Amino acid sequence: MADLPSTRTAEAPLRSVRRALSPAATTHELWAGVHLSEFDPTQGLEQLAIRAQRFTPRVSLAPPDGLLLEVAGSLHLFAGVTGLRHELTEECLRLRLRPVLAFAPTPLAALTAARAGQPLVVTDLAQLVGQLAPLPLDALHWPEETRARLARAGVRTIGAVLRLPRAGFARRFGVAQLAMLDALIGRTHDLRKAFQAPLRFRRRRELDCELSDQGRLHAELVPLIGALGAFLTARQCGVMELECRFVHRHASPTRCVLTLAAPCSDEHQLAALFGERLNALQLPAPVRACELRADQLMPQLLSGRCLWQPGEHGGEAAEQSGGLIDRLRARLGPEAVYGLGLRQEHRPEGAWMTTPPPPAAARRVACARATDTPCEAAPPERPLWLLPAPQPLAAQNGLPRRRGLLRLVSEPERIETGWWDGGEVARDYYIAIDPRGVRLWVFRERAAPHGWFLHGIFG
Amino acid sequence: MVVGDPKIARLLEHPAIWRGRSAAQRSGLSTGFAALDEYLPDRGWPRTGLIEILVSRFGSGELTLLVPALAALTRAAAARWCVWVAPPLVPFAPALVSCGVVLDRVAVVGGARPLWAFEQTLGSGACDAVLGWVRQVKPHDVRRLQLATERGRTLGVLFRPRRAAREASPAVLRLSVEPLAAGVRLTILKGRSARRDTLDLHWPGS
Repeated sequence: MADLPSTRTAEAPLRSVRRALSPAATTHELWAGVHLSEFDPTQGLEQLAIRAQRFTPRVSLAPPDGLLLEVAGSLHLFAGVTGLRHELTEECLRLRLRPVLAFAPTPLAALTAARAGQPLVVTDLAQLVGQLAPLPLDALHWPEETRARLARAGVRTIGAVLRLPRAGFARRFGVAQLAMLDALIGRTHDLRKAFQAPLRFRRRRELDCELSDQGRLHAELVPLIGALGAFLTARQCGVMELECRFVHRHASPTRCVLTLAAPCSDEHQLAALFGERLNALQLPAPVRACELRADQLMPQLLSGRCLWQPGEHGGEAAEQSGGLIDRLRARLGPEAVYGLGLRQEHRPEGAWMTTPPPPAAARRVACARATDTPCEAAPPERPLWLLPAPQPLAAQNGLPRRRGLLRLVSEPERIETGWWDGGEVARDYYIAIDPRGVRLWVFRERAAPHGWFLHGIFG
Repeated sequence: MVVGDPKIARLLEHPAIWRGRSAAQRSGLSTGFAALDEYLPDRGWPRTGLIEILVSRFGSGELTLLVPALAALTRAAAARWCVWVAPPLVPFAPALVSCGVVLDRVAVVGGARPLWAFEQTLGSGACDAVLGWVRQVKPHDVRRLQLATERGRTLGVLFRPRRAAREASPAVLRLSVEPLAAGVRLTILKGRSARRDTLDLHWPGS
């Protein structure tokens, strides 16, 4: 146990330990600074930050015109600095931004080099000061007054300012500027706030001319859906509800809501579903703009794929079920697909309910329970079909008629309940057979007119 | 030349020759009624393919005939869905449960365009069985449905009125169902077997 302290220092890769020893710990980091010129600062920077998250999770904004990415861990995935620079430039060009990229071990150095228009690549902290020295001071974005005073003293480059005595510099130009210089060359740590992508998607597109043709509207929507797809992929999320608003000149906007069965991020699938919905949509007036909104994102769970095809022994159909529900709902409306459920209720019309569509994968627990139920005491026979509402039947000699006189073939089953909630029923149910041999479920009201009603068909 | 002739026997071994009797060896999905299993060509409902059930009146017992097989399908370990497309009335959940159907696997598709929904559902691969009530079906529609069942490896059941028996149909099995006092009378109108006699099937326990 005597060598305990030495092992701790030797083995510990802990930054905290090394940080305490020397600030050179930052050599483990490599920052890419992106400087953008001539762009729309409100949208461009955030969009680029969202897209840049595919390179590294550590992206931070440096408003108004810069973006920082910590890429040391990602270099091997993009064939080094050269490959990464290429990919990053491509990403900027896709957003019609013209970037200057610089790589340096400290964030401020990378950003400063990029702002100075120098595409530097410095991977070693020891070389940093030498590389930064010729850069002009303007790139540090110091206050105009400070820069003017330094210029009067003949200090115009970063190299020159770094040669000034620290105490005097702090006294004349402020502690903040000194701290910035320390961060620049890695003498202190420069903590950057990581960029968190917004968790909702809203994008609007103004149309060149007013459109009322669904097909052309769909074509206008496709880029928006493409942007949504990229947005979702970057966050590994999917949407379950998607809203599109069509803005008219005079009428209030038309809303078109797409509800999905499972989180989806595939832009082609979304576009196809929107096409279906658009075909069924009635537009009151031509559309001048459309806006796509996805407010709730769902984390998308990637599931393992089964060896078997669906339908083969053991093959489940999780993906197919979700797709099927979405296709049916897109064309037939959100209420078109539903599941069935039971309710503890004696009135037949209340003993069932519609539920959301059943889950894609079978639940083993449910299977076990269902096999147990038939073992219970034999319940009274119920028809497989229920009429949405009891249908009055004509009567003859006290017996119901339906395409001829019905023959009652069972003992009456009395259902008398519901006095507490206003839906009181008092009925005697019989199984009846009509002249053609169809088995029916009929009941007779116990109240005054003693009317006969058809309530189910055994099928 | 007689059937027992070895030359003919060798000819008949050719894989492209399909004989009606050989179908009986394939295993279908048990209907839950022993007599019906004996009667049907595949010793049960086919696992893949479209069958047509023709009834003179809705509610003649055609659903009771199918429910035991549906119950077995929904109870299987990796059960897919059992979808009812455009049912004319409400499928009564308590009755289904008492027949052993797991409601967790049952979905209902209502609304307009039943033929389109039926084909989508059959072809999706998400269902073990699809029951469809479609009013107007033309022979080429039935052909599309039959192809969709093969795409989705699904049993499709199309319920049609009795008068459709006059039309040709590409379905693998066509059955006519008429009600009896406590059972049904079945006739195979088309199937991969030579049987054309009727079967009087009585419900168990009645």
